[in-house]
Amino acid sequence: MADWSYIPQVLVSGLGIGCVYGLIGIGFCVIYNASGIVNFAQGAFVMLGGMITHVLLARHGVPLPLAALIAIAAVALLGVAIERIVVRPLWNRKATMFVMILATLAAQIVIERLTLIAVGDQPKTLPVFTDRPPLMLGNVAVGYQFLWIVGGSLTIVGLLAAFFSLTRTGKAMRACSINREAAALQGIPVSRMLALAFALSAALGAIAGILITPTQYTAFNVGVPFAISGFIAAIVGGFGRPFGAFLGGLLLGLLQALAIVVFGAGLKNVAALSVLLLFLFIRPSGILGAAK
Amino acid sequence: MSPSVAAAPTTAASSPILSTTGLSASYGHARALHEVDIRVGEGELVAVLGPNGAGKSTLLRALLGLVANSGEVRFRGASLPRQNAVAVASRGIVLVPEGRGIFGPMSVADNLELGAYRLHDKAEFARRRERVLTLFPRLKERLGQVAGSMSGGEQQMLAIGRALMAGPQILLLDEPSLGLAPRVTGEILETLGLLNREGLAIVLVEQKAPLALKLANRVYLLSLGRIAAELDPRDITSHDDLAQHYFA
Repeated sequence: MADWSYIPQVLVSGLGIGCVYGLIGIGFCVIYNASGIVNFAQGAFVMLGGMITHVLLARHGVPLPLAALIAIAAVALLGVAIERIVVRPLWNRKATMFVMILATLAAQIVIERLTLIAVGDQPKTLPVFTDRPPLMLGNVAVGYQFLWIVGGSLTIVGLLAAFFSLTRTGKAMRACSINREAAALQGIPVSRMLALAFALSAALGAIAGILITPTQYTAFNVGVPFAISGFIAAIVGGFGRPFGAFLGGLLLGLLQALAIVVFGAGLKNVAALSVLLLFLFIRPSGILGAAK
Repeated sequence: MSPSVAAAPTTAASSPILSTTGLSASYGHARALHEVDIRVGEGELVAVLGPNGAGKSTLLRALLGLVANSGEVRFRGASLPRQNAVAVASRGIVLVPEGRGIFGPMSVADNLELGAYRLHDKAEFARRRERVLTLFPRLKERLGQVAGSMSGGEQQMLAIGRALMAGPQILLLDEPSLGLAPRVTGEILETLGLLNREGLAIVLVEQKAPLALKLANRVYLLSLGRIAAELDPRDITSHDDLAQHYFA
């Protein structure tokens, strides 16, 4: 029998991981909206965010904030490189969605293996950003890293909302997702917008990875599970809807956390994939309704 | 070719702003445009008429490079890239596509702003916007409204307004009257006539010939993907004249 007194505590941690899933889910949406491509290399961005920060910090003594910024920039550049080297040539040849998914999955595996060669298979972690004992709200412990995750994610979501609704570049990216041909007719450089979408999406993944690593660990192979959770978040929110994906992430995080209490930790992925199947069967357009 | 060509009061021969030589286009293996030669003079309003499926839209899409094409398109004497709509549009060759292509979920103001995507001069931006809102006062009342929620006529006005925000050198329109009430169509065509009198070169593709004939300096008749005739609208005094050309 489960111990129900843990539930508030479990929900807090579910909310934290949910924010991370949400950020990854937004990454899926940003690329999908710009191109119709589902980018399964998304998990590699998450893994590398934490990993590069760890390497800079632990091996080169770079201070954490600087290490994190360098990691985010490096991963964003890698996103552009994947767009140029893997996606663009296929896109120009009008490759099918199926080919794109396989190609990005291949990129994911290549990055994963290169990371294994570079840093080995041992799990790595990052120090928490603020090293203080958790705040106690009643008998619920709220760690400072949780506050970083939630605050950081909400800040990112707010900045993204401002970018897409206030800046001309953000509006142009939306225009490309609404009608790429009409966007081209306005002189909007649609292919540069695709590269930008990859950069943005990669940076989001890296940020998610950096935020979550102190509470868990990172290793060469954590990318795929994160990508799957982010993908589920995007499906649940209504694919192509960035803010739906964030909500989807929160929902998934909470459900997973509850599943751990009720069924035990071993079944947390079963719960997540069940959510995916349930939505695909019953409401494939997600809670907000899929874009387009 | 029609004998009326010689009489056409056109400056096109001297200084075409846009001209094509042997422009062909195809969708997959289906060829939709065959070796079309047209020219548009500075400040001219050229109408392209023809029955459904004659290749009118394809001609405009080939000019922009939106469809696989071969042949040459020259703009002010320089050859245009053939498969790059962004590059063509950036030179001020602005197409208002069939179905309008407005960004439905975005506001009217955002749609107008995106028309001027490449313009960074704030004063010029404000000037163009003021001009568009003067030409289409109805847009002014709806700046904050979601574009897709407007009537078809208002959406067409927005599509043209957005095109004008780009500061076009030449404006191409694909059936702006499609699906609109006659009164709204009249309003829109009147505005196009005004813009043309101010010196803007316009290519107007239309299925409703009488509307276009009122405005045009010169008319191309397109049939089965080929230019069937080039006419002076003043020579077409009745429907029968035109029908003759359609079915010649």
